[in-house]
Amino acid sequence: MLTFFGVILILLACSYVGFAVAEKYRRRPQDLRYLQSALQMLETEIAYGATPLPDALGQVAQRCEKDIAALFTVTVDQLISGDGGTVREAWERALKHFCRQSAINSADAAVLTALGGNLGISDQQDQIKHLQLAREQLKIEASKAEVEAVKNVKLYNYLGFLSGLTIVIIFI
Amino acid sequence: MNLVSRSLENINNSLTGVVGVLPLHLRKMIHRLPPVILNQVEEVRLRYHRPLTIGLNSKDCFLHHTHGLTDTPEQAYIVNADDISRVIQLVSNSSIYALEEELRSGYITLPAGHRVGITGKVLTENSQVKTMKYISGFNIRVSRPMTGVADAVLKHLISPQGFVYHTMLISPPRCGKTTLLRDIIRQLSNGVPGLNFTGVTVGVVDERSEIAGCYHGIPQHDVGLRTDVLDACPKAVGMMMLLRSMSPQVIATDEIGRVEDVLAIEDILNAGVKVLTTVHGSSLEESNRRPVLTKLLQMKVIERLIILSRSNGVGTVEQIIDGSGKCLFKNRGD
Repeated sequence: MLTFFGVILILLACSYVGFAVAEKYRRRPQDLRYLQSALQMLETEIAYGATPLPDALGQVAQRCEKDIAALFTVTVDQLISGDGGTVREAWERALKHFCRQSAINSADAAVLTALGGNLGISDQQDQIKHLQLAREQLKIEASKAEVEAVKNVKLYNYLGFLSGLTIVIIFI
Repeated sequence: MNLVSRSLENINNSLTGVVGVLPLHLRKMIHRLPPVILNQVEEVRLRYHRPLTIGLNSKDCFLHHTHGLTDTPEQAYIVNADDISRVIQLVSNSSIYALEEELRSGYITLPAGHRVGITGKVLTENSQVKTMKYISGFNIRVSRPMTGVADAVLKHLISPQGFVYHTMLISPPRCGKTTLLRDIIRQLSNGVPGLNFTGVTVGVVDERSEIAGCYHGIPQHDVGLRTDVLDACPKAVGMMMLLRSMSPQVIATDEIGRVEDVLAIEDILNAGVKVLTTVHGSSLEESNRRPVLTKLLQMKVIERLIILSRSNGVGTVEQIIDGSGKCLFKNRGD
């Protein structure tokens, strides 16, 4: 009886890990697409409205997909807290927090980090260029992510359960 | 205890906006200065690789690299590149791209009316200033509300019939010219019960955003109940705009000196509107040497000239002269 429960437990745990990894692969292209459109909104705010950055980021946070809104809301909170921090610092803190809860990987985070170092510190044309560059890079990452998703989602879905099964077979 | 904390709060109120644009470690250093000194701070200057200078109303000091103030540059806190880049971000609300107009004119107005002058490499296009790059210096000027500084001069500016005279303030820089102008505007606009003067509509053309200290178009200084402000508008154009659109009884403007300003003033005089203005200079003779002003003074339309100095502290009224050259008031010193 106990063995039976053990087996079920191992199978469930391993399947869960597999599903979680697969879910990350499945969600990454989507998050990257959301990020691209959020950066597009930010570009519009800066290019046409010359909206001050805290307001512009707040607007984007309200209008973008809620999965990625945290990146912008946390940055805004830091900026308006009045602790004298720069955009780069606020953005990096927000990004660290965001990386944990979203599906983006370190390459995507590097693109965003580079963008954060340039936000708000130059004239409009320059800002637009930096935002376009970041969008371009995210697009490339997104197409890679699509390919990886096709390859890996099914793989990890099965791999979790099967590795559980392997463990069970070896130990019984 | 209560009193102490309250007085600290007062200091904080006038300095918060100024100190708020400095990096955290500099804020702490400045907040540790004794309240007597904090109350005297007129400006904070940051220049790259040079000592952080604090302008008090009596003299300039350097901020000591650990505590207090110092007069020796060797012991002073030296402004570094990180300080400069942080101040740029804090002053611009993290949005330099939104400040192109301000960078062109070389200063930014903060909420509460403080002014930040900026220097750096200026980029030009067709001999017009396009923007500024490699910003390396700041002068943060503290603006304190000074109500009542015009009390002593007002009785000379209002005729027995209750009209305002055409008035010109003559003063060297940093003698409280704009502060006095602002208080005259406020009192003319609100009315002066002591002189039986009910308020008049005042139009202000605030080209350098110094009089009203507008932030997003809203005056941050008290300029009176009946005052309309055209912020950041060229003086000559602005005076005509106000004349046509806001039917002011008095038009006030700061630092006239160009030909078109004087032409606009002539138009205003013909429209029966009173003029209240200032010029740079330390005496009537000096102002008279500037061709543009000579013309205005020769027209003999200015009815009251007020000459300021720092001889008994900021905002000392040296002399008040009427249109015929008669002296109405003369400072006899202490």
